Amino acid sequence: MITFEHVSKVYPDGTHAVHDLTFDAPSGRLTVLVGPSGCGKTTSMRMINRLIDPTDGVVSLDGQDTRSVDAIELRRKIGYVIQSAGLFPHRTVVDNVAALPRLLGVGKQQARSRAMELLAKVGLDERFALRYPYQLSGGQQQRVGVARALATDPPFLLMDEPFSAVDPVVRTQLQDSFLQLQRDIGKTIVMVTHDIDEALKLGDQVAVFREGGTLAQVATPSGLLAHPADPFVADFVGASRGYRALGFVEATAPVELADEATVRVGSRPGDAGAVDDGWCVAVDDAHAPLGWVDLRAAGEVVEERHIDFSGTVARADGSLRDLLDAALSSPTGRGLVAGPDGRLRGSVVAAEVLRHVGHGREAEVSS
Amino acid sequence: MTLNWIIDNAARIGELTAWHAALSVVPTVLGLLVAIPLGWWASRSPRIYPLVIGTSGLLYTIPSIALFVLLPKVLGTRILDPLNVVVALTLYSIALLVRVIADGLASVPHDTVQAATAMGYRPWQRLLHVELPVAVPAIGGGLRVAVVSNVSIVTMAALLGIPQLGSLFTQGFSLRLTLPIVVGIVLCLVLSVVLDVLVHAATRALTPWQQKAETA
Repeated sequence: MITFEHVSKVYPDGTHAVHDLTFDAPSGRLTVLVGPSGCGKTTSMRMINRLIDPTDGVVSLDGQDTRSVDAIELRRKIGYVIQSAGLFPHRTVVDNVAALPRLLGVGKQQARSRAMELLAKVGLDERFALRYPYQLSGGQQQRVGVARALATDPPFLLMDEPFSAVDPVVRTQLQDSFLQLQRDIGKTIVMVTHDIDEALKLGDQVAVFREGGTLAQVATPSGLLAHPADPFVADFVGASRGYRALGFVEATAPVELADEATVRVGSRPGDAGAVDDGWCVAVDDAHAPLGWVDLRAAGEVVEERHIDFSGTVARADGSLRDLLDAALSSPTGRGLVAGPDGRLRGSVVAAEVLRHVGHGREAEVSS
Repeated sequence: MTLNWIIDNAARIGELTAWHAALSVVPTVLGLLVAIPLGWWASRSPRIYPLVIGTSGLLYTIPSIALFVLLPKVLGTRILDPLNVVVALTLYSIALLVRVIADGLASVPHDTVQAATAMGYRPWQRLLHVELPVAVPAIGGGLRVAVVSNVSIVTMAALLGIPQLGSLFTQGFSLRLTLPIVVGIVLCLVLSVVLDVLVHAATRALTPWQQKAETA
């Protein structure tokens, strides 16, 4: 556990970067520090590995005051990932990951084979191992940055806006694969971001900072959305927080799904069988849904250009937000639902999802 | 007499060239070794930087002849001792390279330095394993200037009678012969080019990680 007790940072010119900060980042959990720029979130994070020393108060790791240990030894126990990856440009990918173990005396072969395992773990193909950082995309560099931070298997991990320098599509991929990795490794993580969506998506716990370096609220993402402490937090969390809160609610009872007729690309419209309104679901060879086809508009043979890809696909075990979004984005008003195996399960209408929203509310109130 | 003179003096010309090369290269290497800690020191503090760079720049403005004459008194060496030349040229190399090292280290991406610090590199480990290797292209460029400049300054030592290619200039001048002077100039040029190419090749060999567009 990382503990802040009445921590303040005042610069010589009198600026209060952080003011009387007290909170815990629990072990094995991901705590996100979020807030507008200049709110002291990055300063707070850097006080953990003493890149910055607090003026007042105590930061401790598992009960040990960070000032009682050598700063260098402290940093070697704490993995660090920064926005632009900050890779060593003169080392290959595998040697970037192996750098710290090598510095600490691990043999070259052993360090490299461990590095290769880590690269696989963060989802980087081994053919990139011998390339230099400039030969990688931003997203790939960031994966190497994460692998490097884990190289000595430190119990703690600090991440400074790790996913904000890449485009939205890659960012989502990196976030998803990082969440999966964290489920596996269970590090005690403190991450800084200015993106509230990222904070709500990744954090087990979110600490919202306001200007002047004070803490506005610490809560779980769903707690933050449901019970913002004050107008600042409510405003920062955003306008559509009611809808976003659904992202943390799963259906308490099975959602009723309707069966849908299916058709494959290359088959004839008549193969779909009985279709009420002319729409049926295009599926691939694994029976995974691709989108909707209006059979009345398709000609002799269903082609890819006949498929309407506008609807999102929700997972049967997903959140109510995913299910509702699938229904709302569907050209037919019926949201496509797939099982964990990716196969089409059926469709759901918005009214059915909203019926469960009511149940979810009741469940939350009674718990 | 043209070819005959060269053939008759081939052994001596070769010896002078070897001396010239040694007197150019050894001070460059020594200068680099001294300039690295000085440049590092300068690069770490904005207050020290102008002091170190200013002082080392001043060093370069001392006329070489004056240094050659003064150094024996300071070092207690004989005036004909090649050590005087080595020390003088080392001072010039330091003057040129301190700035190169300081600016080269300052050009290392901030993120890279910060990452190394946060990972737990000690300052000297960071310098040795990260900052200096990344600054090699910049340092290599400065080294080329220093070594070529030394090839030219060494010739001045001929006025003190220390043997190197400059001796061909004094010989030509006293015998009123053009040929030794021309041979000396040509060999100095060739030596400059060879050393420059060698440093450049070494720099490239040390930096396989550089993008092609940057090394071209």
